[in-house]
Amino acid sequence: MEQIDLKVIDKILEKHGYDSSKVIAIMQDVQEEYRYLPKEALTYIADKVGMSESKLYGVATFYGNFSLDAKGKYVLKVCRGTACHVRKSGNVLQALYEATGLSEKKSTSDDGLFSIEIVSCLGACGLSPVVMVNETVHASMTPDKARDLIDDLRAKEG
Amino acid sequence: MAEKMMIIDGVQCPFTNERNVLEVARNNGIDIPSLCYCENLSIYGGCRLCLVENERGAMDAACSMQPKNGLVVNTHTEKVLESRRTTLQLLMSSHRAQCLTCDKSGKCKLQDYAKRYGVDDTRFGANTYCREPKDESSKSIVRDPSKCILCGLCVRMCDEVQNIGAIDFTQRGKKAYVAPGFGKTLAETSCVGCGQCAAVCPTGAITIKNEVPKMWKMLHNKDKKVVVQFAPSVRVGMAEEFGMPANEAVTGKLVTALRRLGADVVYDTNLTADLTIMEESAEFLEKVKTGAKLPMFTSCCPGWIQHVEHKHPHLMPQVSTCGSPMEMFGALIRQQFKGEDVFSVAIMPCTAKKFEAARPELEKDGERLIDLVLTTTELVNMIKEAGIDFANLPDSEPDDPLGDYTGAGVIFGVTGGVTEAVIRRVLDDASPDALKTIAACGVRGLEGIKAFSVTAGDLTIKIAVANGLGNADKLIEKVESGEESFDFIEVMACPNGCIGGGGQPPASNKRKAERFDAIFKEDEACELKLPQQNPDLTYVYDELLKGRAHDLLHIHYPAHGHHE
Repeated sequence: MEQIDLKVIDKILEKHGYDSSKVIAIMQDVQEEYRYLPKEALTYIADKVGMSESKLYGVATFYGNFSLDAKGKYVLKVCRGTACHVRKSGNVLQALYEATGLSEKKSTSDDGLFSIEIVSCLGACGLSPVVMVNETVHASMTPDKARDLIDDLRAKEG
Repeated sequence: MAEKMMIIDGVQCPFTNERNVLEVARNNGIDIPSLCYCENLSIYGGCRLCLVENERGAMDAACSMQPKNGLVVNTHTEKVLESRRTTLQLLMSSHRAQCLTCDKSGKCKLQDYAKRYGVDDTRFGANTYCREPKDESSKSIVRDPSKCILCGLCVRMCDEVQNIGAIDFTQRGKKAYVAPGFGKTLAETSCVGCGQCAAVCPTGAITIKNEVPKMWKMLHNKDKKVVVQFAPSVRVGMAEEFGMPANEAVTGKLVTALRRLGADVVYDTNLTADLTIMEESAEFLEKVKTGAKLPMFTSCCPGWIQHVEHKHPHLMPQVSTCGSPMEMFGALIRQQFKGEDVFSVAIMPCTAKKFEAARPELEKDGERLIDLVLTTTELVNMIKEAGIDFANLPDSEPDDPLGDYTGAGVIFGVTGGVTEAVIRRVLDDASPDALKTIAACGVRGLEGIKAFSVTAGDLTIKIAVANGLGNADKLIEKVESGEESFDFIEVMACPNGCIGGGGQPPASNKRKAERFDAIFKEDEACELKLPQQNPDLTYVYDELLKGRAHDLLHIHYPAHGHHE
């Protein structure tokens, strides 16, 4: 498990005044920092804001946006909303799975480079099918473009 | 002001300060069903079983509806009945119904309602129950998420009343279930095993660890001498299970029943409650004399001990080293029957006692002090299993020696009882006037926190009594912030003390108040009121303990440190 720097968490907690009603904002900041919610961080936060571990865990697991598993450096969000589906985002997803070796069950690659998430709508139906890589939007995707995308990202990493 | 009135099912229903329409209805003899409501917990409004219909045909949950003067609701219209059936069918579809083999069968509210509201098919199937595994890690309780209907009573009990929060909702929507955080087992959390979650669980999702088969095995083993002790509050928790009034103690019948089940020797833990007071008062007065850090906390409640270990380990040196009455009797039994093949059983109102009995510290001279703890509920089941007509049993007395007890021992079963017994010991005055003064000093009553002081000679003792761990935490906060100071603090982990223990048949506040009365009636019936008057104590100290009182009757848990 990743060693986390509690000073970073302290700073985030301080920013939110150790307020138990702000745990969602606190967890968002922690996730921003680590790209997921490390267990140690959650235990520490629960203790500091005076909330039971089980309750905080409950909040963290309630929201799909929070992840308790370490994510890859590049998080690929594949839209499977209606518009993207009609324009064959299923094939794009399949191509990404094949290119990265990931699957529905295994969402993060062992080298820690890629994570693939299925999302319901990114609100960019005019650009469908859409894939987001971290904060960048890739529009009008095809299986070929998806394979190229993975190759490009791999090349960038050397 | 004119009396406030609601009209429920066409009946004029007066009300005062009830928190919701559900309570008004129940106080007026109309039982609206509910699975997620408890009078002692916050209102959740999740199960939707308590829906009622108003004049305009709109339906709302009675648990979340404020009583208003002139409000009209109906509780069994066609619409309401239909909605109830559908709601039950939906709940049943995500509940693993194993009624024939379920521990809760016969006591399950879901089962009861399904029958009462004529649900004769499962309509939505019954296959969507939670697949999370059963958690049997705790020595006290068993958690089975497949039977959970997400009413959240256990979650609120653990959080709001006990301030522990060992379990909570995890995930969302159809994937939601109740569990400790991070996939931990109950044994890995700060759960103290008080069993209050099991007491409020409407289904078989949380149950008391059933050790009845182990008990039968030992009773059937002719080579074993089965020695049974039973705690003060057990005698007031059983009557209602056999159709008898709850405000009557059933001590004599209990002794007879234990013998008929096959126990070789039966003792009343009241004796060692007296003994605990002798030891605890001495320890307290010694602390006062030597100027040791006060307050001193009581130590008879295993849930409280675990809570201190988890949340306030720094206070442990201030917790009395006296073993619980159960532990002390365990030690006496080993001395009394030295060299014999004894199986030592304790019947307790408490699920946490199962944990206590298994602690490594409860071993003296290489022998376990207690081999098995059965709860009141488990004993009731055994009596029924044996076909004993409990209500019509003749009375009998515990075995001699070690069969005597005083009123001070009896009252251990309620919040404030340990303290009242200590006061009786310290004031050392058995006159009716003195006892009346003690009873009126503020120690009696079911309030969550009581604070008062008592004067003994030139010593004024500031005392606080808390029941429920949430109340204990509030009290500790006040002591630590310097807002209040006390010399002696009694804590019982369960609301109302042992009479409301997790091992007792679950009871409403009204029932618990009746048990409270029953305990003091039993005290009144005792000729002797002060622990020091117990005639058996001489035998205990001189013949059994022979100078080993401290060694055998005191328990040093790791967090106690080496403060002596």
